[in-house]
Amino acid sequence: MQIQVRCACGEGGCPEWAIVELQGVVEADPSIGNQLQNLEIGHLCCSSQSVYKFTVGYHELSGTKVPLKKPLLVLKKRKEESLGGAESSTTELEVIGIIRHRILFKNRPKALISVPQTKEKKTG
Amino acid sequence: MDVPLAEELEWLESAFLQEESVEEFEEELPVASGAGTVDDCLNPPFQSQVSSRKRPSSLESKAAPEISSEDKRRKRSAAKDDEEEEDMIRCSPSKDQSAFISPTHVDAAADFAPLDELSPAVAEERFLSRFASEIDGDCIPVTGPCGERVYAKMSAGAMDYMPKKLGIERSGLLSEPINVLMEKVEQEALLKALQESAASSVDSVEVTSPDNEQLWVEKYAPKSFTELLSDEQTNREVLLWLKQWDSCVFGSHIRATSDDVLSSLRRHCSVVQHHKAYGHKNAFGQKASLNNQIINQSNTENDENGRLQGSSEMWNKLSKANNGTPEQKVLLLCGPPGLGKTTLAHVAARHSGYRIVEINASDDRSSSTIESKIIDVLQMNSVTADTRPKCLVIDEIDGSLGEGKGAVDVILKMATAEKKHVGSKDSSSDVATGKITSKRRQTATLSRPVICICNDLYAPALRPLRQISKVHMFVQPAVSRVVNRLKYICKKEGFKTSSMALTTLAEYTECDIRSCLNTLQFLNKKKENLNILEVSSQVVGRKDVSRSAFDVWKEVFQKKKAKHERKSVKGFGVHGDFKLLDSLISNRGDYELTMDGIHENFLQLCFHDPIMQKTVRCLDVLGISDYLFRYIMRAQQMSLLVYQPSIAITINRLIAQVEKPNIEWPRLFHRCRAMLMEKKDLLTSWHSRISPYISRHLSSEAFVEDVVSPLLYILSPKALRPVALHLLSENEKGDLFQLVDTMVSYSITYKNSKPEAPAVPQKYGSSSDAPAFSFDPPIDELVNFKGYQSGHATLSLAMKQIVAHEVGKHRILRGSAGALVGEAGDAAALPSKSSSPAVPGGDQGRGKTPPTLGLSKTPANGAPKKAYRDSNRAPRRPANFFDRFRKPSKESETRGDEGREQEAGKRDSRRRPVLFKYNEGFTNAVKRPVRLRELL
Repeated sequence: MQIQVRCACGEGGCPEWAIVELQGVVEADPSIGNQLQNLEIGHLCCSSQSVYKFTVGYHELSGTKVPLKKPLLVLKKRKEESLGGAESSTTELEVIGIIRHRILFKNRPKALISVPQTKEKKTG
Repeated sequence: MDVPLAEELEWLESAFLQEESVEEFEEELPVASGAGTVDDCLNPPFQSQVSSRKRPSSLESKAAPEISSEDKRRKRSAAKDDEEEEDMIRCSPSKDQSAFISPTHVDAAADFAPLDELSPAVAEERFLSRFASEIDGDCIPVTGPCGERVYAKMSAGAMDYMPKKLGIERSGLLSEPINVLMEKVEQEALLKALQESAASSVDSVEVTSPDNEQLWVEKYAPKSFTELLSDEQTNREVLLWLKQWDSCVFGSHIRATSDDVLSSLRRHCSVVQHHKAYGHKNAFGQKASLNNQIINQSNTENDENGRLQGSSEMWNKLSKANNGTPEQKVLLLCGPPGLGKTTLAHVAARHSGYRIVEINASDDRSSSTIESKIIDVLQMNSVTADTRPKCLVIDEIDGSLGEGKGAVDVILKMATAEKKHVGSKDSSSDVATGKITSKRRQTATLSRPVICICNDLYAPALRPLRQISKVHMFVQPAVSRVVNRLKYICKKEGFKTSSMALTTLAEYTECDIRSCLNTLQFLNKKKENLNILEVSSQVVGRKDVSRSAFDVWKEVFQKKKAKHERKSVKGFGVHGDFKLLDSLISNRGDYELTMDGIHENFLQLCFHDPIMQKTVRCLDVLGISDYLFRYIMRAQQMSLLVYQPSIAITINRLIAQVEKPNIEWPRLFHRCRAMLMEKKDLLTSWHSRISPYISRHLSSEAFVEDVVSPLLYILSPKALRPVALHLLSENEKGDLFQLVDTMVSYSITYKNSKPEAPAVPQKYGSSSDAPAFSFDPPIDELVNFKGYQSGHATLSLAMKQIVAHEVGKHRILRGSAGALVGEAGDAAALPSKSSSPAVPGGDQGRGKTPPTLGLSKTPANGAPKKAYRDSNRAPRRPANFFDRFRKPSKESETRGDEGREQEAGKRDSRRRPVLFKYNEGFTNAVKRPVRLRELL
């Protein structure tokens, strides 16, 4: 059985993706409930060539960019209904990105104590 | 090839002998016949081999031994020639001639004279047999290629020559016929002899000293253990120490020296010694001293017996205690130069079967290189030629501090590692010695003997090494021994000296045999004679050596009587002394120490000085030296240091005595300085503890000079009775309070001093030696001078105890009050001045509870404030630690805690919708199978 994988973006032009690998769990506050849409998780900053900082909540994680041993493809499944009924319906897998690197955060996060917040608390 | 039958062989032999002798006679060589025949017939095994090989052609078989015998003889005669030449140089020419007319003849005769007597008897016996029983005495089995075996008789005399001869036989045929060679050799010898005789009549010296002459020191260095000049006991102990390594290095178990070995050793010693003694007699005809020598030696011999037994016991003990290596892994030889330390190390190590690896002062001795080198030596084995285990000799380890230290450190590390190792292993097993040794080699520890050699045992760099090593001090050998050896060498070298001159030389160089020999060789080369009177100017090649400080002081304080007289007669005594002392002191170098030593010791000297003139002069001169030093150090004019020795010489001229001075190391200066520093420290630390409003009026100088003594009087009032507090009258209580107050202000207290320093409290009155109290910053020591006793009374022990208690209480109170009051601290710290002493004193006396006392004593403005605060704070304890600081100021404005918390929670959740939870130590990544239908 043959699965066709199509790459629309041409040679070398695939958009580069990256994996952000965290040791831990990113949890949404229970008070938010299901409104996860458009929720900002945190800030990811590249402080130097391979050192990244990721700020989630009141934690700051520092991680490094690590090349993957085997690059991964990000695929998108696309169904095309042809004229000939169910039999002829074909499925196409479209490449939408290639992942060559992952950003690995494996160290214990650093707690951020923001001073302005306490001030705010006091005045408010 | 067949193995010859015995009969055949015998026949061959006899035939051969006859033939050969005929041949030899035909050649008309005077020696050959005798030598050849005897020689050959004494070597049956060899001959049997030869004949067995060469049997097919009998002619060859005859030629081969002939060649070999001739060859050998030629070799020997050549060798003899060399010896002969050497001998001849020393002999008179007439003797030479006679010796050289027929050198070979003489040689051969000398060689074979004893054998000649044997030969007839031997010839009758059977040399070869199929049965060993048919041969008398020793025999050697010879197996032919076809497996047949015969036994050949071994002749005791011929044994020695056998290997050599075989070697020659194997070396193949000569390029030139032997006859030609023989003739050549003889002609050469004749020519040489003629030349020699001609030359020797002209100048014998020229012949003896070719250009590349060896140093006498090396040429005549002791080659064997018995030749050593150094002290017999030291030699033995060094050897014993080396032998203790045997089980570790060679793997053999240490055995105690059995009795028969011991006795034979003793016999050997005595023989050697007697032999030596007679040798001396024959050589030098010193009869008078000889008797003494023999007596001495027999004495020492007895001693040695005892010693040997002792050593064997020690040996036993050691072998039990420590499996393998001796207790001290390093041998440290020390002593002045030229006494044969290096030689002893080399000879002893060679004697014990080690290969010597020497690290000298001239080698690279940085820590890293030396470590690798030592490890090389101690743990590797040479694959090439010399597979003997190595023994490391580090010469002049004290050489220079920095580099020498590297070596010392490395050795130290290894030795101590070893010790730990052994310590852990000893418990485990004592049985499997071999196993342990092999194991130990793997670790980086000391597994080969290390001999260190130094001149100055007390060099600072060696201090750690000294503790773990076996130390042997070298002492000067008897002058007579050195002189005898010198004489022997002089005679061998054909240098004419008198024993008087040699004795003077030896004495002058302090038995430094290297320097003696160098001098002699130098003079010999220059064709001068050793002059008794000018030994000092003639001596060359002395090793630079800096003497210890004690030696320098001794030289300064002590006149040399005997030498001085002898020299002064010759008219250069004073000058010589000057020079000697000057070089001595400047070689030593450390002028400051030298002067210190002189300063501290010169008053102990008993010199005649009725009106203190010399003393004054000495002190004057020392003062100058001090000034000089000060200037030198300030201006860094090191060149001015040259003048320091002259000051010491001045003192020497003034007060030097014949008696041996009792010199001590100068410690006073350092002690004084240390004490000063300590007290200054004490004072400054105390000064900073006194509250500033008092201390700002006290400079430390003024304090020491003016205040301390009166303060001590104040701190120990006489009026106080040593009774319990509540028994004191009001007045006394007032006094006590004042005292306590003063002490607190000056931050002085009594401290229970430890019993190991009882001197201070006992001196100041507290009679019992149980708990003794002394001032806490020991200010009484500031006025504690030698021979001075401060007049202040001291409180009794009980009183001190009470006072200390009160001071402690008071201090706590004041501290808390001061901290609370803050800006009012000044007022609080001055309770005695602000409030009347009577009231608090009464309070203190009555109420033992500190809080009431404190409250009553703290000034009015302090106490209410505190009370107010306490009451304020009491109802609502803050939950948060940080809140405590924040809240009091804004107490009125803050709302209820709960409300605030909620609000904060809300804001938090609003601001931080997503939180990160860190999973420590594991990753819970999920692997999910992807099915194919999901892709379709």
